[in-house]
Amino acid sequence: MIRVEGLHKGFGRLKVLNGIDCHVSPREVVVVIGPSGSGKSTFLRCINMLEEPTAGKISIDGVSLLDPKTNINSVRAEVGMVFQRFNLFPHKTALENICLAPLKVKNISKGDAESLGHSLLKKVGLSDKANVYPDQLSGGQQQRVAIARALAMQPKVMLFDEPTSALDPEMVGEVLAVMKDLAREGMTMVVVTHEMGFAREVGDRVIFMDEGLIVEEGTPDELFLEPRNNRLKSFLSKIL
Amino acid sequence: MEVVLKNYPRLLEGALLTLEVTLFSVAIGCIIGLFMGLLRLSGAKPLRLLARVYIDFFRGTPLLVQIFIIYYGLPIPQWFRGGQALLTAHFNVPDFISSYMLPVFLSGVIACSLNSGAYIAEIFRAGVQSIEKGQVEAARSLGMTSSQAMRFVVLPQAFKRVVPPLGNEFIAMLKDTSLLSVIGFAELLRQGQLLVGHYYVAFPIYLAVAFIYLIMTFSFSRLVDFTERRLKTGD
Repeated sequence: MIRVEGLHKGFGRLKVLNGIDCHVSPREVVVVIGPSGSGKSTFLRCINMLEEPTAGKISIDGVSLLDPKTNINSVRAEVGMVFQRFNLFPHKTALENICLAPLKVKNISKGDAESLGHSLLKKVGLSDKANVYPDQLSGGQQQRVAIARALAMQPKVMLFDEPTSALDPEMVGEVLAVMKDLAREGMTMVVVTHEMGFAREVGDRVIFMDEGLIVEEGTPDELFLEPRNNRLKSFLSKIL
Repeated sequence: MEVVLKNYPRLLEGALLTLEVTLFSVAIGCIIGLFMGLLRLSGAKPLRLLARVYIDFFRGTPLLVQIFIIYYGLPIPQWFRGGQALLTAHFNVPDFISSYMLPVFLSGVIACSLNSGAYIAEIFRAGVQSIEKGQVEAARSLGMTSSQAMRFVVLPQAFKRVVPPLGNEFIAMLKDTSLLSVIGFAELLRQGQLLVGHYYVAFPIYLAVAFIYLIMTFSFSRLVDFTERRLKTGD
């Protein structure tokens, strides 16, 4: 589904990614963990070209992203992204947030978009918030609308960039619950998170990154119970 | 004082022209400003440079000089005078371009809107840049093109933020149109000058002129405050 080879990314002289190789299969849930500054978010943002890689290859469903002939907008339409800071459109209601991209990018009718929007709001448990503006929603509710907004494009892959890091602790659960449902339905997901419980419960594979490299990867049990790498050991000892 | 009371309709006539020329100039200035503001942010270097030159010229030179350049200096295109001659000959339209100069109202609007456009371009640029980067990223991540992200996500939010500075620009322009008195445009200050010349009393007349400007700017700034509050609720 996602194939990344030799991915490098630098910002000027600062090297953030130093050769990432990674393959994500359909329906797989990959959790990326690592200390801050290890390049997790940059890696994720390269997968939908919000950051342009310095070198390397990325392909999604066989379509190479770095090929100049590839229309990046149509690739992005199939890759949903959920941000740490939600990034809902503040001038639009929850429903309008969800409907905007299907209306403008896929050109579906208003009626279809709205019924899609309502069904997605129901899915994330916010049926009663359709006509509410983001600033009247709690953080957890905003993030659930943001997930629904990404799902509205019927993506093949969902990327989550620390989706619960900006939330008050009591709201983390409701967002993780929505993500677990998605994983159960067979969505292909790449999740950057500090929620080790989620990684263990939902992740098919866990990737540990440090200093722009994948240092260790494996099943959650392998990584959490029998870590081999010293940096992973010290990382886990600090957070568990 | 009686001078003012006897002649206030003349002043109000002038005030009306002041309002008209300001409204036209700021309205046209908004169109120019939006266009130039977006060029200023465009990815293409020559376009950015073009906007840069325009903005720097009109902000970096006095409005009075710009008015002179346009009123005394702007050549009237041949087809314009030809069209005028036709209208006069066949439809008995009075000859509004009697000389080689543009009529004062038109020159005033051109000069003021070009000047205003430069300031408004900077207002729009700042408005667009004040929108969080995450908004564009969210829009792009959904598959929108950069122009769709601009149209549906960034600009609607930026418009709300530019209301207060645009209001300030309107008020500044309202006052600056008094410079048009120099080319004989019969706006508020010019009407005052004519009265002063006629009656040889300056103080009450100019005081009345100032007072009328104050009423206009004050009521407009109240209107801006009101609109600002209304817009906030929909955020």
